[in-house]
Amino acid sequence: MTLLPALAVFAAASLTNVLPQIDAKQHYSFGGSNLLAAQIQQGAPADVFASANTAIPQKLYDAGLVEKPVVFTRNALILIVPKSNPAHIHSAYDLTHDGVKLVVAAPGVPVGDYTRTVLHNLGLDAALSNVVSNENDVREVLAKVALGEADAGFVYTTDARTVRGKVATIGIRWSAQPIVEYAVAVVASGQHRAAARAFVAKLLQVAAQKKLQAAGFLRVR
Amino acid sequence: MASLRVDFTLPLRDFELTLALDVARTVALVGPSGAGKTSALRVVAGLARPSRGRVELGGETWLDTERGIDLRPEERRVGLVFQEYALFPHMSVRANVAYGGRERVDELLERFHIAHLANARPERLSGGERQRVALARALARDPAVLLLDEPLSALDAHTKTQVRGELSELLRGLELPTLLVTHDYEDAAALADEVGVVVDGQLRQLAAPAELVASPRDTFVAAFTGANLLHGTARDGGAGLTEVRLPDGARLFSTDPGDGEVGVVVYPWEISVSRTHADDSALNVVHGEIGSLVEVGNRVRVRIGPVTAEITVSSAARLELERGGVAYATFKATGTRLVAL
Amino acid sequence: MRRTALAAAVFLATFVALAFLALPVCSIFLRVSPGRLAAQLGNPVVADALVVSLKTTVVAQALILLLGTPAAYMLASRRFRGRSLLVTLVELPLVLPPAVAGIGLLAAFGRSGLLHTSIPFTELAVVLAVAFVASPLYVRAAIAAFEGVDANVVAASRTLGAGPVRTFFRVVLPLARGGLVAGAALAFARGLGEFGATIMFAGSLRGVTETLPLAVYSQFNVDFDVALAVSALLVLVSAALLVTLKWLPSASTLRFRFVTSS
Repeated sequence: MTLLPALAVFAAASLTNVLPQIDAKQHYSFGGSNLLAAQIQQGAPADVFASANTAIPQKLYDAGLVEKPVVFTRNALILIVPKSNPAHIHSAYDLTHDGVKLVVAAPGVPVGDYTRTVLHNLGLDAALSNVVSNENDVREVLAKVALGEADAGFVYTTDARTVRGKVATIGIRWSAQPIVEYAVAVVASGQHRAAARAFVAKLLQVAAQKKLQAAGFLRVR
Repeated sequence: MASLRVDFTLPLRDFELTLALDVARTVALVGPSGAGKTSALRVVAGLARPSRGRVELGGETWLDTERGIDLRPEERRVGLVFQEYALFPHMSVRANVAYGGRERVDELLERFHIAHLANARPERLSGGERQRVALARALARDPAVLLLDEPLSALDAHTKTQVRGELSELLRGLELPTLLVTHDYEDAAALADEVGVVVDGQLRQLAAPAELVASPRDTFVAAFTGANLLHGTARDGGAGLTEVRLPDGARLFSTDPGDGEVGVVVYPWEISVSRTHADDSALNVVHGEIGSLVEVGNRVRVRIGPVTAEITVSSAARLELERGGVAYATFKATGTRLVAL
Repeated sequence: MRRTALAAAVFLATFVALAFLALPVCSIFLRVSPGRLAAQLGNPVVADALVVSLKTTVVAQALILLLGTPAAYMLASRRFRGRSLLVTLVELPLVLPPAVAGIGLLAAFGRSGLLHTSIPFTELAVVLAVAFVASPLYVRAAIAAFEGVDANVVAASRTLGAGPVRTFFRVVLPLARGGLVAGAALAFARGLGEFGATIMFAGSLRGVTETLPLAVYSQFNVDFDVALAVSALLVLVSAALLVTLKWLPSASTLRFRFVTSS
């Protein structure tokens, strides 16, 4: 077996912990999916692109920059507050109270769009007026809440688990959750397309799927 | 007119400066560079704080370390002229002079002949003009004491002579206690009523200029006033004279008492020069090669062996002196002083 | 033969260096036409960011001048134990990565930080972040400017009856002006471009804390054209600052060199 080259994998920030567990050999670049897509558009040397939604890879596919994307896992949103819960948030409805410091991801970042969908589904568009900062990826939202600087934030359930002990979680009912599907695609201009396709295939296999579920990701329907 | 009394000890980098004197008219402090003379002015002005001391003017106490009095510079009525004049470069001459006080600006500009420069900037003035501006500025404050730091050092030789005369006249006319500092004995002698020689932080002698020349207290003072200084061993020479043996074997006689290791002081202008050995009353004769001939104004300084004589240009020409030639330097025993080493 | 080769090498190196510095800046303007640039200025995102940037940078600059000037003067005019340590402390933000500065600000002023304030995510947070990273540039230049003032001229002012305050305003400040202005301009330019500490300490919210540099970043992955326009705007402002800085000394009548001997 020939030694496979290490691939440059651009992946959504929420995959920071789980992807290296699945395949430690590759070189990962984690960030907001939209930022990574923009970099790929500007010619960044990525081999694989894994996004926290399907819309962004689809856009790249339509532009001929990636091969056909495939969904490989799912996720759900959760509301988090600092352990000390300074603003006494016990449900999403408390987010509309005066002076609550709500941190969300910026529109265009997948989790940012999902957050706005959730709030809309809950009839809580008004809560957006309490947003104090639009972050550039989900881990920045997580950090601000975990540090205790923000009163509340929306992240993926998988992110909340990485800082257990620093945040308290408030579940969001299923009927309000958006469909959160992660899609992965091989970058068309990559130098190691065969290896990239092999990586994508690996993600879909049982071993990787078990690791994803162990981390809290949801099964692909 | 009030007199300025200073008495203080100021620690400097390598030594301590201790000074105690009364300044009634004009006193010049002279000494080698680095002797701390400028620091003395700064203490009087309040820019430096001595470890102990008093500075009083008439009845006013400006500094008394024992009683905890230390007036700030702006509270002391001093006029300080810095060595490099320290004019405000961003202000015109008029603004500089007016800084200390507005009332007498025009009068001072006239008096110092700088009215035509009123709107000029300091950078465009000559050294002599800058000095006049600095003086006018200091006087605009109507000071009770005038402090001058090396007032003539920043001038070229030609301007210096002229300014020296003008400054001397000015100081006499002002009748203010004035303390000035210089490394040039001749400047001190021309400007001051009393001259204090400061060496290594100590005041060696304070006296009128003539007195310093006539009776230098020690070798520092003697060397400073421009004397020749030789080393020798003295013993009684009989007939009221002291005989001094020089290292090269020569013997000199002096009317001063002395014993053991002494310094022999002879002033250049008391030495006569000839090409032949004259048989006259002068007891001391030095015979040697003419090492150098230097014209200084209308005089010539001739180095003969170990001593330097000063004679007129015409005399030097008449004797046909030239370097490398041989001459005799003669001087009287009465003009030969002995000082402790 | 060797000398011409050496000359050629030096010339080549110079050309490469200058091209390297000029290329990114020129490229921005080559990719966005002046018409599109002007059009983007009407974009509310850009307008909001411009207002936030100007407000916060101007306030930060005022703070820097008000607090930094006396501090610099004290550090320049007195010698005391621990002085060099203080100067190093003042220069520290210069060498800190901005993100580290942001973390430091959070650790000090954050809700869970030392002082438990509610400053994060506010306009004040931006002002503080900008002031923190930009002040060393001013203070360092101010110290040098004050040290360059002839001590004898300052002493002369005191002996002429002016107390410390009058001496400062009538003598020290005018003579140090050139260096102070240069330092202030540098600090302003740095503050305008501040990113890392701001995003960490103040976050990014349009119209409140999203400054021009933050807008470049947030727009980069939304609308590259807007990012370009904002970048061009920042370049123009910085260039204008630099030109003003160069033009000031020659235009002012305060050019003087103190010649000590004729």
